[in-house]
Amino acid sequence: MSTFHLKISTPDGLEYEGDVERLRVRMIDGDVCLLARHANYVSAVGAGETAITLESGEVKEAACIGGMLSMLDGEANLIATTFEWKEEIDLDRAKRAKERAEARIAAAKNDKKELMLAEAKLQRALVRINVKQ
Amino acid sequence: MAGASMKDIKLRIKSVESTMQITKAMELVASSKLRRAKERQERCRPYFTELKETLDEIEAATSDFSSPYLQSRDVKKQCLIVIAGDRGLAGGYNANVFKAVTELTQDGTPTCILPIGKRAVDFFTRKGYEIVTTEFAEAADVSIPDCFTLSNLITEGYLSGQFDEVSIVFTQFVSMLTQTPKCEKLLPLEAGEGERKTGLRPLVLYEPDPVTVFNAIVPNYIAGMIYGSMCESVASELGARRTAMDAASKNAAEMIEDLSLRYNRARQGAITQEITEIIAGAEH
Repeated sequence: MSTFHLKISTPDGLEYEGDVERLRVRMIDGDVCLLARHANYVSAVGAGETAITLESGEVKEAACIGGMLSMLDGEANLIATTFEWKEEIDLDRAKRAKERAEARIAAAKNDKKELMLAEAKLQRALVRINVKQ
Repeated sequence: MAGASMKDIKLRIKSVESTMQITKAMELVASSKLRRAKERQERCRPYFTELKETLDEIEAATSDFSSPYLQSRDVKKQCLIVIAGDRGLAGGYNANVFKAVTELTQDGTPTCILPIGKRAVDFFTRKGYEIVTTEFAEAADVSIPDCFTLSNLITEGYLSGQFDEVSIVFTQFVSMLTQTPKCEKLLPLEAGEGERKTGLRPLVLYEPDPVTVFNAIVPNYIAGMIYGSMCESVASELGARRTAMDAASKNAAEMIEDLSLRYNRARQGAITQEITEIIAGAEH
């Protein structure tokens, strides 16, 4: 299959640059899979699993939350707020974060601001756990 | 008499010497941290310029475009994000930021403050300003995820009408020796900034639609602005501290020189006196 160029950048620097066969990302309105020669496309990234398929057939998975995905003139650019390869995820830490977030939600009750912050934390933890398992 | 004064001077020299050691160490620490702070800022830049370009592109490419982030409203209340340091001993770094904020709030617009850094939290609580949150008391510890939390807080408050304008006050790193406080408007976004590219533009598919994509990207962009200003402020603080500590070390060196001179004079005086006394005793 033909490949296309992909660049994944995060606020911490470049995460990946190279040719891939297929890119799957969870957008704000569901999963999207890009193949080579896709039309120009821009959308916002949601929270979920991202997977790239290399030319060798190897599949690399990662947790990806927030940001933007663009495909312009055959080159894909994934600008992710949080991006962690599956191998890099610390499962224990994510589980601890999940517990902490749940406790905060239970304690927040009617405090809307607090609830919002805690829910965002819980969502991030859940995404990490899901990708890892 | 001369002996006691000699001892005093000796003690004084010792204490100045140990102070100088500390200021020298602080200067060195500040310079090495400064380099890292600058690197951090460089690393995150591509991410945010890309977002900004996309925002501009969407806005330019779409006619009849409207987003709550672009509409300016009557300013009933403004929100200021103020970035200052965690510690003192950095010359006028903190004081300059607070002076800038005081000037900005002088026109009487109701203001709420979101302080970042321990000094800022202390200052604005003491002055009785309305505070949004004190969760970000450690300026040096604010990470990228924190900036996103902050940005969500700000955009949420802006959309719900809690405040009508959001600005950020930080210290711009002009050079190693000069750092100036600066105020930049975050929300509402300036419409159509920069030159509008004319001519043919590529057809782009925005999914689900341009406005949704735009609104989803804005909080990320704001977070980037906050993080960028954060990095710049931290670099400025370290720069200011380095300069202040450099001056302090120089002053200490000068003082030691002065004191040594006085010490030697006193010593000589004591010897001369003793000799005079001995000679006077021998003559009789």
